Amino acid sequence: MSDVVIIGAGMHPFGRIDKTYEEIGADAASAALRDAGIEWSQIQAAYLSRMYLPATSGARILRRLGSTDMSITDIEAACASGGAALRQGVLAIRSGEVDLVMVLGCEKMPRGFMDPSMIYSPWQIELGMSLNPAYWSMRAQRHIYEYGTTELQIAKVAYKNHKNSVHNPYAMYRKEFSLEEILNSPPVCDPIRRLEICAPDDGAAAVVIASAKRARELGASGKAINIAACCHTIARYSADFRCPADSMSATANNPGPTEVTGKQAYERAGLGPKDIDCFEVQDTDAFCEIEIYEALGLCPLGEGGKLIDEGKTDIGGDMPVNMSGGLISKGEPVGASHLGQVVEIVTQLRGQAGPRQVANAKVGLAHVLGAGGNCAVTIMQR
Amino acid sequence: MSTVTQNAARDPVAIRDGLLCGPLSQLAQVRLAGSKCTNCGETSLGTVKICPNCGRDSVQNIALGNRGVLWSFTIVRHRPPGNYKGPDPFVPFGMGLVELPEGLRVLSPIQCDIDKLKIGLALQFKPYVRHDDDRDVVAFGFEPTQG
Repeated sequence: MSDVVIIGAGMHPFGRIDKTYEEIGADAASAALRDAGIEWSQIQAAYLSRMYLPATSGARILRRLGSTDMSITDIEAACASGGAALRQGVLAIRSGEVDLVMVLGCEKMPRGFMDPSMIYSPWQIELGMSLNPAYWSMRAQRHIYEYGTTELQIAKVAYKNHKNSVHNPYAMYRKEFSLEEILNSPPVCDPIRRLEICAPDDGAAAVVIASAKRARELGASGKAINIAACCHTIARYSADFRCPADSMSATANNPGPTEVTGKQAYERAGLGPKDIDCFEVQDTDAFCEIEIYEALGLCPLGEGGKLIDEGKTDIGGDMPVNMSGGLISKGEPVGASHLGQVVEIVTQLRGQAGPRQVANAKVGLAHVLGAGGNCAVTIMQR
Repeated sequence: MSTVTQNAARDPVAIRDGLLCGPLSQLAQVRLAGSKCTNCGETSLGTVKICPNCGRDSVQNIALGNRGVLWSFTIVRHRPPGNYKGPDPFVPFGMGLVELPEGLRVLSPIQCDIDKLKIGLALQFKPYVRHDDDRDVVAFGFEPTQG
């Protein structure tokens, strides 16, 4: 039995939204409070996960819910910001100082490639080495070379995720594409194509978390979802080639951030990959999902392509991945993306996911990975 | 006198401090700078004071080799965002990780026909001078070895 539980979850649909970030964030926070059946005034601390919003965005958003003097902190860890923020919430409750916490993820981003000055040095930008998909593509190219992974297998991941998104009212794109349409979409950075990458967008997602004791007192134990593990790490030396790296070692052999964070989370939860019923993972590009199958232990190294061929990660398969449609369909509002995954897993574990429901899902895992090798893994259990 | 002043003002500068070594005014002698750690043996890109692997200050500045092999690559099909200094209008270009004999892979633009890019391609270091408005900047790429 875990000591910290999720008693409420809420989300604003991801997409290009004609509202301010304060409005989007407050909508998601209110939805999580309603779902938890509690009042804003009962919350004792709040964390906002965001990357592209201005200073003290957490306070600016949450003040809309009513006067408060509690600690509200913004947390940033690139694409893993949501995991880092949720971890802070869990640690705050474990410290014993508070027992009812809001963790909100919110982002509002311009269209197109992300602002490179947030991540890259001026010389990298001047040389044109400031396109995030280029880094994903070089890993894909090497995987193709080493393991015989095919462009068709990469396209199959995009096919699956676009197909799943049709049933997700929170996704930005809810359109199925044929394999042919995906393979005929123009390359962005070879071998990755337009219909195989995610786009930055706007969105928010929130959870209310509580100590197990407080959840019982509130009468919320029945629908509570246990946080079995919530881990955040950054890549060890040269363990991950991801923006804004300018070089990597050819001799160091450190395990990658997903492997390290996943192992930490599995150990803390006392579970292994075979015990997980459903996964939401970082699919900033379709290849990335294949790489993560391997790093999270869903299959041996080099066999991620085979896993998608066999349909094992479909909603009806042995180990469904990205039932929500993934970031490829939802877009990646960076600070909100992990909380969005957590809301999807909570929905799945409550059996409320409708046509995208994984039958009898009891344990779910959410994974994000991004700039600087920031990685977060949260395992939830009902 | 004015000519001297003008020349002095146009002394080339490296695209980033600590990334290049050798006399910048003699391109044939310019190399990528590296730092080799005498404790853990790792070689990293650029001049650093602390080894990014083991955290010790036992690093020696070295010049990296000017020949390498393409370890992986992509083709950038869209104009990169921000202050990109490449051709205008944009031309798709290769970018890749070049494995050098010192045991590291350096990210670099690859200056060749994009159809020629393949893993294992033999490459050589190619420093060049870029004329910005107010200064000459030594930038770099890699190109296929000649002969």
